Amino acid sequence: MSHDKLLDHEQVSALADGQLGGDEFGDVLAALEKSEDALASWHCYHVVGDVLRSGDLGDTRGDMAFVSRLRGRLAFSVGLQLNDEALVMDDFRVGQVLPDAAVAVSNVLSSASANDSSGRWKLIAGLASMFAVAVFGWHFSSGDAALGAAAQLAAASGGSTAFVAATAQTGATGLAEPPVMLRDARLDELLAAHKQFGGTSALQMPAGFLRNATFDTPSR
Amino acid sequence: MTNNSGPTQVIAAASAATDSDLMLVERTVAGDQRAFELLVIKYQRRIQRLIGRMVRDVDLVEDIAQETFIRAYRALHQFRGDAQFYTWLYRIAVNTAKKTLMELKHDPTVSESSFRSSDDEDETSRPRNEPTSDETPESVLAAKEIAAMVNAAMEALPDDLRQAVTLREIEGLTYEEIAVMMNCPIGTVRSRIFRAREAISAKIRPMLENQIGKRW
Repeated sequence: MSHDKLLDHEQVSALADGQLGGDEFGDVLAALEKSEDALASWHCYHVVGDVLRSGDLGDTRGDMAFVSRLRGRLAFSVGLQLNDEALVMDDFRVGQVLPDAAVAVSNVLSSASANDSSGRWKLIAGLASMFAVAVFGWHFSSGDAALGAAAQLAAASGGSTAFVAATAQTGATGLAEPPVMLRDARLDELLAAHKQFGGTSALQMPAGFLRNATFDTPSR
Repeated sequence: MTNNSGPTQVIAAASAATDSDLMLVERTVAGDQRAFELLVIKYQRRIQRLIGRMVRDVDLVEDIAQETFIRAYRALHQFRGDAQFYTWLYRIAVNTAKKTLMELKHDPTVSESSFRSSDDEDETSRPRNEPTSDETPESVLAAKEIAAMVNAAMEALPDDLRQAVTLREIEGLTYEEIAVMMNCPIGTVRSRIFRAREAISAKIRPMLENQIGKRW
């Protein structure tokens, strides 16, 4: 070990004992920042101390993984504004370990605020629902008004019942002409010539629903 | 040589290092996250052992320990040094464990066997031979191996080095007090303690690297 390195590690040892101050303290922290070796010594010295005081503290297998995981979690949480920070502070300002009852109350408080962020989405969803209901309501009420107006007009002009009904229906759908079914004349002829096949699909399977789609002459 | 006389020595040893902890806290509050990592490396084993006495679930022990350090980090600017840092951290650990246990008790998917009585929180309340939840056969073996190696290394130390490191680590004396007792300058005490630590570290470092898997 080089002289400088030895000096660094002696400073790390002194830091572990709280014997460093001023510039020396800053220097050692800088060394610990840069040097894995110095950090390993910091860890090792504390393990030695722990083991000398209590033999069951010698299991260090998870130490590095623990610090790495914590490093990641801290990096993630540092940028966040913490909702429960005030609660945490109050817990520790008490200066004593919390009794179970206080912990229970604190749990209730913290659990109530755990999903506060979803509250605003509930508000937005509620407003959206109200808007949708209003749109549908307006749509149907305006449709009814058109039907009523058409019926009034028919009664005033003394037209036939059929005409009134047709006008009312077209008023509701917005069409000026009576409904026209557009069909291919050749297809109609073909279907009329082969209507015996109307109830059978190409796979020779019964298909009753196709019957409704086939051409049906009034004579049938 | 391993001293198993309990938390009294732990607290005594920590008392002399309070200033160092406070300075690391101040550095952390000023934005130096590495300073906080040094505190984590220093105290994680004790915190995990403490939580292991309250919680049976091995995985939960580490989760609660993580949460403890995160809460401590967030609340660090409130630490004024009125108490020792470990005492403050201890309270956070106990409160975090209690909160977690209260939450789990309301979770029907978690069995009662996951937690111990909260009366077990006291470091002195557990019989010494009763294993904590984070103690698996492997961990016990690993701890025993390290302890045996440390004891052997201590036995092999020259008297002055062994005495210095014993007074510091087990009795918790300051460098000044050790200097008076050993009738030598403080610089000599510092050097002796360092040399003792290095000698022990040289023996256990390969084992630690095996345990950890790689260097820091």
